[in-house]
Amino acid sequence: MLETRNLDKSFGAVHVTRDVSLKLERGERRVILGPNGAGKTTLFNQLVGELTPDRGTVHLAGEDVTALPVAKRARQGLSRSYQKNTLFDGLTVEENLGLAAAIHTGNATTFWSDSLGKAEVREIVKDVANQVDLMPFLHAKVSQISYGVRRQLEVGVALATRPLVLLMDEPTSGVGPEMAKGFHDLLNNLPRDLTLLIIEHDMDLAFDVADTITVLNYGEVVFDGLPDAARGSDLLKEIYLGSWEDA
Amino acid sequence: MFHHTPLRYAALVLLASGALFQAFTAQYFGLEILTEILILAMLVLALDMVAGFGGMVSLCHGALMGVGAYGYAVLSTTAGLTPPVAMAAAVGITAGISWVIGAICSRSHGIYFIMATLAFGQMAYSYVFEAPIFGGDDGLGGIERLDLSAVGIDLNDTRTFALFCLVALAAIYGLAVMVLRSGLGRSFSGVMHNEQRMRALGLTVWRVKADVFGLSGMIAGFAGVLAAQHIMYISPGLMAWTVSGEALVVVILGGLGTLVGPLVGAAVFVVLKHELSSLTTYWHLIVGVILIGVVMSRANGIFGFIEDYFAARSKAAVATPKATEVTKDA
Ligand SMILES: Nc1ncnc2c1ncn2[C@@H]1O[C@H](COP(=O)(O)OP(=O)(O)OP(=O)(O)O)[C@@H](O)[C@H]1O
Ligand SMILES: [Mg+2]
Repeated sequence: MLETRNLDKSFGAVHVTRDVSLKLERGERRVILGPNGAGKTTLFNQLVGELTPDRGTVHLAGEDVTALPVAKRARQGLSRSYQKNTLFDGLTVEENLGLAAAIHTGNATTFWSDSLGKAEVREIVKDVANQVDLMPFLHAKVSQISYGVRRQLEVGVALATRPLVLLMDEPTSGVGPEMAKGFHDLLNNLPRDLTLLIIEHDMDLAFDVADTITVLNYGEVVFDGLPDAARGSDLLKEIYLGSWEDA
Repeated sequence: MFHHTPLRYAALVLLASGALFQAFTAQYFGLEILTEILILAMLVLALDMVAGFGGMVSLCHGALMGVGAYGYAVLSTTAGLTPPVAMAAAVGITAGISWVIGAICSRSHGIYFIMATLAFGQMAYSYVFEAPIFGGDDGLGGIERLDLSAVGIDLNDTRTFALFCLVALAAIYGLAVMVLRSGLGRSFSGVMHNEQRMRALGLTVWRVKADVFGLSGMIAGFAGVLAAQHIMYISPGLMAWTVSGEALVVVILGGLGTLVGPLVGAAVFVVLKHELSSLTTYWHLIVGVILIGVVMSRANGIFGFIEDYFAARSKAAVATPKATEVTKDA
């Protein structure tokens, strides 16, 4: 469903993505682990097209999308959430979701008819609000909801384009352990045919949702396999033990 | 995102009643001022659409109005088209030019966007100034008004023309509201709030900006057509960048991003200009001081100030019953 081949990227002398090849099957839920600065976010940026790789390709549903701009890839079913909330701050939760749903339903560029009031848009807004527990906050502005709820909205906005592949950059970053656990229950309830690629800092939480695990270290894939194998991996302990405790 | 509020409806009713009253009771000079306000109001509506709802602070809207005015003048006089055809063509040409400017400038932001639009405006100004077909420095005269005598309306009558402009402004306000409430308008606001996210969600951002800028330019062009018909003579001064600057002043004075505010701003600005200039030749100084006051007050222009005032009052009104309950208990 989503595949990279030999992706490579440097910022000057800093080599942030080293020959990364990944392959996600349809419906696969893969978690990317890696210490701070391992290049996880930079990899996401290349997958969605916000950054151009120096070398290598990105394939979405069998098609080479490496040269496609961000918006086109998104319309082909690739959606992402951000590590740092990237929301429509002055607007309500409902409007945030509606703007995304309007794009998906083709209502975002008509000057003669409304988008947010359309039945198909409202339906997606309602579905997504249920999926990520935003129903009670629909009419609140982003500035009026708590940080944890904003994290839910961050994923909700990405979901409202009804993607085939959803990339989530540390969806639980900055929220308490209890809320993070609840969040993972939400993720587990997402449709099974949705392909998920999730960056997660917490290893235990990662094992909660992952079908497969990829570990990045210094921009390089150092592990790619099943959670059980990852759990027993000495390499992983070595990379993580230091940074794990203080994360 | 644009929403009508009861206060905004009330302001619209007040403005419309005031304009109607003026249109039916005023003498020649009052009618001239009214028409001036109505045409300026169209221009600032167009500007508020892009600046207030999409953050596209344009310094070429005066020039776009000039394109409409010159387009109509040349097409109806030199080219000999009938007024309705010339009007439609002039408005269409302005919309097309605006769309292209919007598309080209869509990738720049902030001060760079302002400078790019200024450059386009200045190009248009100097072209018109130099080109013989536009009459150069001398301008163009002999411009005719739309002929509606077939339905018994004589637009050469000052009062009738003022009423015609009022009806046109109402229609244009409706158009602006329709655009801002449409899918396109909502996406446009989304882009102002977070362009990166809109793109990541699959929106072709430059296209949305160009489309709204084109529609806004279409309105500015229409204002230009009416300006040409109003004065029946046009000169390159119409396209000077100071016209765009003045329009921006009016938008900010009235209330950026409220659509109703700029209408208030246009009325206040024109009346102030005429009242003050009869008192002193330094009227610009006084308008400047007022603008600085408005900007420093931290309210969103005159209309924003009124909105804040009513919001504070309704909060106080909610608090008051509690106080009476307490006194009853005591
Ligand atoms: N635009 C940029 N220019 C230069 N260096 C960059 C840029 N973006 C990221 N980097 C560097 O690339 C490296 C990887 O950054 P990245 O944000 O991808 O890490 P990460 O794995 O997401 O880390 P974290 O867990 O802290 O989010 C870091 O050393 C970072 O400083
Ligand atoms: Mg990161």
